[in-house]
Amino acid sequence: MSVAVGYLAGKGGRSPLYLAMEAAKTLKTSLTVVTVVPRPWMTPSIARIDAEYAQYADQLAADSAKEAQECLDSIGSGVKVDFLKVAHRSASSGLLEAVGDLKPDALVLGSAADGKLGQVVIGSTADRLLHSSPIPLAVSPRGYRGSKSGGLSRLTCAYPGTPDCVHVVERVGALAKRFDVPMRVVTFAVRGRTMYPPQIGLRVEDSILEATAGQARDSLAELKKQSVVGEDVTLQVATGNGWDEAIDNADWLDGELLALGTKQTGGIARVFLGSRGSKILRHSPVPVLVLPG
Amino acid sequence: MTAPSISLKDQLLRRRPVTGAPVAHGASDHLKRSIGTFQLTMFGVGATVGTGIFIVLQQAVPKAGPAVLISFVIAGIAAGLSAICYAEMASAVPVSGSTYSYAYTTMGEVVAMGVAACLLLEYGVSMSATAVGWSGYLNKLLDNLFGVTLPHSLSAAPFGETPGIVNLPAMLLIVMCALLLIRGASESAKVNTIMVLLKLGVLALFVAVAATAFTTDHFAGFWEKGFAGITAGAATIFFTFIGLDAVSTAGDEVKNPQKTMPRAIIAALIAVTTIYVLVAFAGLGTQEAEAFGSEEQSEAGLSVILENVLGGSTWASTILALGAVISIFSVTLVVMYGQTRILFAMGRDGLLPSMFAKVNPKSMTPVNNTIIVAVITGLLAGFVPIDYLWDLVSIGTLVAFITVAIGVIILRRREPDLPRGFRVPGYPVTPILSIAACLWILYGLPPNTWIWFGIWVAAVLAFYFLWSRRHSALIDGGDGIIPTAAAGEGDVMLTHPPKDPQ
Repeated sequence: MSVAVGYLAGKGGRSPLYLAMEAAKTLKTSLTVVTVVPRPWMTPSIARIDAEYAQYADQLAADSAKEAQECLDSIGSGVKVDFLKVAHRSASSGLLEAVGDLKPDALVLGSAADGKLGQVVIGSTADRLLHSSPIPLAVSPRGYRGSKSGGLSRLTCAYPGTPDCVHVVERVGALAKRFDVPMRVVTFAVRGRTMYPPQIGLRVEDSILEATAGQARDSLAELKKQSVVGEDVTLQVATGNGWDEAIDNADWLDGELLALGTKQTGGIARVFLGSRGSKILRHSPVPVLVLPG
Repeated sequence: MTAPSISLKDQLLRRRPVTGAPVAHGASDHLKRSIGTFQLTMFGVGATVGTGIFIVLQQAVPKAGPAVLISFVIAGIAAGLSAICYAEMASAVPVSGSTYSYAYTTMGEVVAMGVAACLLLEYGVSMSATAVGWSGYLNKLLDNLFGVTLPHSLSAAPFGETPGIVNLPAMLLIVMCALLLIRGASESAKVNTIMVLLKLGVLALFVAVAATAFTTDHFAGFWEKGFAGITAGAATIFFTFIGLDAVSTAGDEVKNPQKTMPRAIIAALIAVTTIYVLVAFAGLGTQEAEAFGSEEQSEAGLSVILENVLGGSTWASTILALGAVISIFSVTLVVMYGQTRILFAMGRDGLLPSMFAKVNPKSMTPVNNTIIVAVITGLLAGFVPIDYLWDLVSIGTLVAFITVAIGVIILRRREPDLPRGFRVPGYPVTPILSIAACLWILYGLPPNTWIWFGIWVAAVLAFYFLWSRRHSALIDGGDGIIPTAAAGEGDVMLTHPPKDPQ
């Protein structure tokens, strides 16, 4: 029982450490900082080039641990922090290996450095894990520095309104109970793009959006009627001309966490993010928790 | 649903209120008045050119002879008059703009249902027919580029003069368009402009190349087919002007509509008619009128003419075929889109079962409609030969256009003070002329078309009397508010984007 966070010095910034610290505090558990370094060549060579390389890898791991330690010390105390160095050919496989050994509750990753501040940007490592992680995966927006209140304030579940996703709402509901935070279920309704030339008017997509939103309201109301969620849960349909606008429109709180479910692929429970999921993820202004299908 | 307590007459004539109709909110106020004359003209040309002209000469020239040029002008004038009436209707009725919605708000439910029958026929059949035309040009393109063609049995319908088994490429086109629409694909204004330029480009190429083989001898016997021939030609040609009304539907997004609208309609009309007349003129100059009806030209007609002109050299024919393949594809996509959205509006109004108003929550598009449309038009395209189809498109459009013109007159009389963004110039002459022109062209259609049209409209109206009448959303007296909210929805918040300042 712990929270694992992938961290490498000089790569993607410190935002995942802040999120991981919050997660460990919320879950009242320990934190493991996992650093994946290049695996040296195992065959000894005469010129000891590989030994130099191994030294470099060790140095990288030590630097990362030191930086992480400094950062985590500045954030808070009371959480037990471990460091783990994994030598592997790829960052994502190394993290998966660490996840297999540590069996943590969740794995926290940061955004890639080439996006806008405050936005979730999926890098190559996160992308691979979003399609293979066996445990819940949390991604912090770029430059995330924790919530001002210092903890989780609300848990929002994105729900597409299809019956096969009700189990996601149930699971997020259980999490919200466990963390003792308010819960919200949001359905995003996005307007279709206008077709040109407009043979039956430029506004016909508005009526489609209206119907989408109406159906989404029905399916959300159904959640309460079927007692999938409690009476105190907030239900919301957020509409917009695009995913960005719809997600922006949902009004986010400080310290909010967005939870997504993913498709079930085969018999194995693991994260496999679909196309709508990735759109939501990309535009989320708050950290995102992606649950295995 | 309980039996309605109002009389049958009230039922048939109940209307959706002109104002207070359930106009979509939220994003709808997002569009500003931003469309100018050029863009609007592009809408008109883009929606019009691209289906018919690649195919129509082979249908119309045998009927009218070289005087088909006159037929083009007559059809163009009738379409232009209708488009002007359309523009007033669109600016007066604040619902998303199909003739069906206009008829519902002005002339009552039963007329709306009749108009819907016309529109569904027009869209569905023209989609199938363009798909058949696409199949011909695709085969031509494959032949020219790679020397392979699909066997005749797989690229012709079973009931034609030279029967095959199934027209596979035509069905394929419809399936592709349906998949794109299900995924929510759309054509942007920029793509539309590019498509317009592409179409004009290949047609200009046709005119230029065909002009090299121009002989005035081919215009001998210009009046041979007489007045009846010209009218019949105009009736067949009429469908090539469908889409001119696309200009009118942009109503409330147009800058200064009273000025821009008629300019754009006239500009589009002149552009389209000029292109058509030039293409027909150049084509007629290359060969005898009889040659248009020949077996050789029944598929990919314009390409074949170019090959004959160039003595077997295929470069021009290949370019034309490629242009036709691309532009017919885009037109089919747009027409299929329109068809699914009309069905959606009817489902929402309760005139069709509610499954037609259902949006798939995953793709956020009306998937049911798209599949139904694709299956029906796909079967039509695969198994019915093209020549039987076009006249049905024309008749559907003409009747719908007449309804719009009558609607303009009714609305002027009943609600003279209603704010209109655009008013028909020369009222009441213009709408009456429009009706007269449409009636004249209707007169030229063969009896067979009338019979099929009658059967179809009767079937739709029978459905109305047996089912829709009792399920209409206006059933409880008609306050125009379509109930969508179910019990317990008070809990669900609905957030819309902030509105742009106008």
